[in-house]
Amino acid sequence: MTDEWIIEVAGLHRAFGTQQALAGLDLQVSRGEVFGLLGPDGAGKTTLMQCLAAILDPSDGACRVLGFDTVRQAAEVTSRIGYMSQGFTLYDRLSVDENLVFAARIRGVPDSAFRERQQRLLEMAGLTRFGERRAGELSGGMRKKLSLCTNLIHEPPLLLLDEPSLGVDPLSRRELWRMLRAFREQGTTVVLTTPYMDEAAYCDRLAFLHQGRLLAVDSPAGLRSRAEGSVYRLQTDKTITAKERLDAASEVIGVQWLPGRLVFQLAADTQLPEHLRTALEGLGMLQPVSAELEHAFVQLIGGGGERRGAMPVLPVAGGEEQAAEPIAVADLSVRFGDFTAVDGVTVNVAAGEVIGWLGPNGAGKTTLIRTLCGLQRPSAGSARVAGQDIARAPLALKQRIGYMSQRFSLYPDLTVAENLAFFAGAYGLRGEERRSATAWAVGMTGLEGTGARWVGDLSGAQRQRLALACAVMHRPQVLFLDEPTSGVDPTSRQRFWELIQSLARGGMAVLVTTHYLEEASYCHRLGLMFQGRLIALGSPAELQGEVGIAAGEGMEAVFMAFMERERSPGEAAA
Amino acid sequence: MNGRRIIAVVVKESREILRDPITVGVSLLMPLVMLFLFGYAISLDVRHAALGVWDGDATPASRELVEAFTGNEYFRLAAHYGSLHDLEQALQRSETDLVLVIPPGFAAELARGGRPAVQVLVDGTYSATALLVSGFARAIIAGYRQQGRPQLLRLETRVWYNPSLNSANYVVPGLYAVILLAFPPLLTALGIVREKETGTIQSIFASPLTAAEFITGKLIPYSLIAFLQMVMVIAVGYAWFGVPFEGSLPFLLAAGLIYVLCTVGIGLLVSTVTRTQLVAMLLALIVTLMPSFLFSGLLFPIFTMPEILQIYTNVFPGRYFVDISRGVALKGAGLEILGFEVALLALYTLTVFLLAVWRLKKKVA
Repeated sequence: MTDEWIIEVAGLHRAFGTQQALAGLDLQVSRGEVFGLLGPDGAGKTTLMQCLAAILDPSDGACRVLGFDTVRQAAEVTSRIGYMSQGFTLYDRLSVDENLVFAARIRGVPDSAFRERQQRLLEMAGLTRFGERRAGELSGGMRKKLSLCTNLIHEPPLLLLDEPSLGVDPLSRRELWRMLRAFREQGTTVVLTTPYMDEAAYCDRLAFLHQGRLLAVDSPAGLRSRAEGSVYRLQTDKTITAKERLDAASEVIGVQWLPGRLVFQLAADTQLPEHLRTALEGLGMLQPVSAELEHAFVQLIGGGGERRGAMPVLPVAGGEEQAAEPIAVADLSVRFGDFTAVDGVTVNVAAGEVIGWLGPNGAGKTTLIRTLCGLQRPSAGSARVAGQDIARAPLALKQRIGYMSQRFSLYPDLTVAENLAFFAGAYGLRGEERRSATAWAVGMTGLEGTGARWVGDLSGAQRQRLALACAVMHRPQVLFLDEPTSGVDPTSRQRFWELIQSLARGGMAVLVTTHYLEEASYCHRLGLMFQGRLIALGSPAELQGEVGIAAGEGMEAVFMAFMERERSPGEAAA
Repeated sequence: MNGRRIIAVVVKESREILRDPITVGVSLLMPLVMLFLFGYAISLDVRHAALGVWDGDATPASRELVEAFTGNEYFRLAAHYGSLHDLEQALQRSETDLVLVIPPGFAAELARGGRPAVQVLVDGTYSATALLVSGFARAIIAGYRQQGRPQLLRLETRVWYNPSLNSANYVVPGLYAVILLAFPPLLTALGIVREKETGTIQSIFASPLTAAEFITGKLIPYSLIAFLQMVMVIAVGYAWFGVPFEGSLPFLLAAGLIYVLCTVGIGLLVSTVTRTQLVAMLLALIVTLMPSFLFSGLLFPIFTMPEILQIYTNVFPGRYFVDISRGVALKGAGLEILGFEVALLALYTLTVFLLAVWRLKKKVA
């Protein structure tokens, strides 16, 4: 037993029935590290965390945490660590203070130390004013921060965090990280999981987890350097032609289809073939760009393996009578009692445009989408969606829009075919129309041959594409996507965006909400909401220009700059 | 077992419970509703049975016999019928529970000093009532014109413990046991499974709290609620239903505390083996509420059941507490008589607790 390793994992296997969640892991984490486990949903991240927290026994192999065996000395482990599980770990009916008191008492924190730590933690989390408030009434970001506080109250030497930033807006995420860094300074070791590549960059070391195996363990810079030199950007108007060329080349393992440009990467140890280079240079400006973590991941899994040619672009239904601006919102407000959820929002979205909708939790994004879908009556202002007045014709409206939220829109106890049939029925598709719509949706999303499978058994990426198929099979003029890409691997995400771009080509107006700021680059324009108001609207480049941030800084910096600008000193103290 | 940690769980749990006043209110109201419903609905007594009469004699003597029937609270005169055919119809339509047929020549036979025959036809659809009714009829006929005659033999019946033979006195103390087996587990079955659904259980597992401490911390507040329920139903039973209370109240409360710890423990045990609140609720219903009516001896005396079922009834703690609460309330029995039942309950409670602790393994799978 060595003292320097806080965590030692050797030959770790864990099966659930016939499913291998972890298939032989070896891993060491040293004292004082911030160690990130990166991987898509279903990669085994949570299973590994539960094994480390000694609340799940390995099928084979062993974990030593803080020098204790997690099976034989589970009590020694659990009495020392802090473990924040995915989702929520608070008691909603207890106040902020009461949650902290409970966490402290069950962990034997002496009362004398508690007062001082409580004060310091709440201050760091910006929750000092909310001590009396019930946890259930906090916003998502505040809940996460409080959850973190309850796991830091006993000052554990090791903190295990399972997707700490899931559903947390960038602002709260930054505060969360500030807390983690402060504790790291004191020598706390932090192990966390994340599906976000940008967050992974903050870690000292990273492990890529894929299908229960470790692909690589290295520093973020080290991982990026593995893919260095294999990533190119092609600036072109002829994205479809370029895409076809790239798909035909076996050397290309990943393509990101962005507005007006394609970013593609080559397999490790291959060169850009001369004929392809010439062909691409004929289409636009080709230049090498620096690799991101995402590229390293794609390289390690060797691409998706099942990449496809360009999808058949089908025009949206009722194209001839289509409005030029399928989403036209004028001074729209939604109030609940005294609370203004959406405050005078004006925005127009053109046919074929993809608009990204950003903002912290509780900014009013969901309310706005619900209103545009005809599920919520506006208090003031007007909006036309797919040519229909949302206040007058909610039924006609629903025929012309598609809505997808990855987590809730499918029935896991039905098969793929049954889900498709249900949605086809819900859109009123019949007979031949129904058959062709289903066939098109299935073909487009690459779900052929999965008809008889239970949705619950599909991978996260397949479920996501099925949800999209269900949302667009009636070829709506407007598509709303609510956090569509959380928890899937980068290759699947690239492929998903490819689908979105080809749908937009058919004339669909697409509105996407996301917390995943990297995805902002896939959108033609971005809207940023804060406290119900639309505080910024424009292309990524325009927004960067407005707050004077260099293109290389990434969207997170832009997002923050806008937020800081909005937060007047008076409000911060309120 | 660390007292400080247990108290932390008790405090946290109590706060959560108290901040859901609707659940607390319903859980206190439900037992009372059940007590009232069943206290009134379940009556094994026969009062005012409908009597039909075919008086073929129509003499003062025959009318005197009818009056002997209707002159007490057991029977009321429903109708006089003109023919035997009408009588049959009346029985078929359940207009009467029994009919009295007095043939012509009844008075003449009596006057001759003979023993005239009368017929009583009883609707035997529900055998228990029919037996009682025919028993009453027999007694009335036997007592007819006995007054003033020399008596050869006299049977004196004394009913002990429930001298008024009021079935509420029998049913209500039994209900205490059934109510306390039916409701506390429903509430507590959600106690742990709720934490499984929200995910907070993972934080509990990954903490120094032991399974025994966690279960104890849950047991205490829920048992307090159940104890409150018990005090309420006993008070209402005494004050409203007028059920006698012969024995010692502290003894009944002490035995009751053991009993509610046991039933609350069953709820927690259910909670440790289920994954969703809905399943927990249904399972709690199946293992407590349903058998508690059948197998506790509340309505159906256990000694009349087939032997195999009699053995089966031993599984349900309600059975022992029915004996205890009836014994204390009606017979004034104490520990010297009910010691065995109390000991069994205590053993049962301990077993349930240990099973729950064993099931809650502090592992997610």
